[in-house]
Amino acid sequence: MVGKIAVLLLRVAVSAVFLYAGVMKIWDFRHGQSATPDFTLAIQHFEILPNPDLAVLLAVYLPWLEVTAALTLFVKRLALGAATAVTVMSVVFLGAIGSAWARGLDIRCGCFGKDEVSLSYPSLMLRDALLLAAAVVVLVWEARRKRALTPSPEGESPS
Amino acid sequence: MIRALRQFAIVLGIALLPALVSGAIQLKWNAEVPPKKDEVTIAMVHNNWSDHVLWVDARTRAKYDHAHIPDAVLLNEDEWNSLVAKFLDAWDPDVPVVVYCDGGSCDASHAIAERMRSELKIEKVYVLKGGWGAWSGK
Repeated sequence: MVGKIAVLLLRVAVSAVFLYAGVMKIWDFRHGQSATPDFTLAIQHFEILPNPDLAVLLAVYLPWLEVTAALTLFVKRLALGAATAVTVMSVVFLGAIGSAWARGLDIRCGCFGKDEVSLSYPSLMLRDALLLAAAVVVLVWEARRKRALTPSPEGESPS
Repeated sequence: MIRALRQFAIVLGIALLPALVSGAIQLKWNAEVPPKKDEVTIAMVHNNWSDHVLWVDARTRAKYDHAHIPDAVLLNEDEWNSLVAKFLDAWDPDVPVVVYCDGGSCDASHAIAERMRSELKIEKVYVLKGGWGAWSGK
């Protein structure tokens, strides 16, 4: 019971973070305009993608994936896929920030659009590592739940 | 595992729909948004002043050192006091000043342009719409 509540809280926290991050990358509320150009630049500054045009596509798609994953974390039939999505995204974010840190890039994270506090690399890594840990817990929980719901193969069920 | 991947693919697919709509709207929208009163485009700089302007880079020194518009002068908020003299040396009252920052809706260029107007009493100051992104992608 305690475990269930703890996972629910983690699920709410992960969902809230991804929902907020996604929305802030879609719309710049301070200026009342699309946040996509800023996010495109933020992606380009990481200097990871081989083609700058890919940054535009990613800047349009990634925020919606964050929003979709955040919402579908509460849809039973899609929760496992959503948990996989937030875990994969957390790994990618952690890798991108770690890579930028290793190359000594002086860049803005872009994680929460323009509405973000400037953080040092260690703080960003810690924040993303915590997010990844929470996402993994939710993913493992969902995987176990699905396994428990799956009927045992014929012949293995107790008679 | 297969179930997780199948659901993951569905989540990726669901996200694709609003992303496509959003992308299409923004493509149409961006093409129609005219520059604001104090903004200029690269085409305007070329057509109105034959590219004869003083470019001011309002980004960080690291970004300026990495790449900048040819002959641009660095003047940002962090180093305003130490850089303003160098800017004034390069400034010609007859030549328009065009300030740029990263692009998108970055505030640095507008902030520097405003300081030039209020503190240095320079009138012919404009902000490059789209900033460095517009220049580097031209």
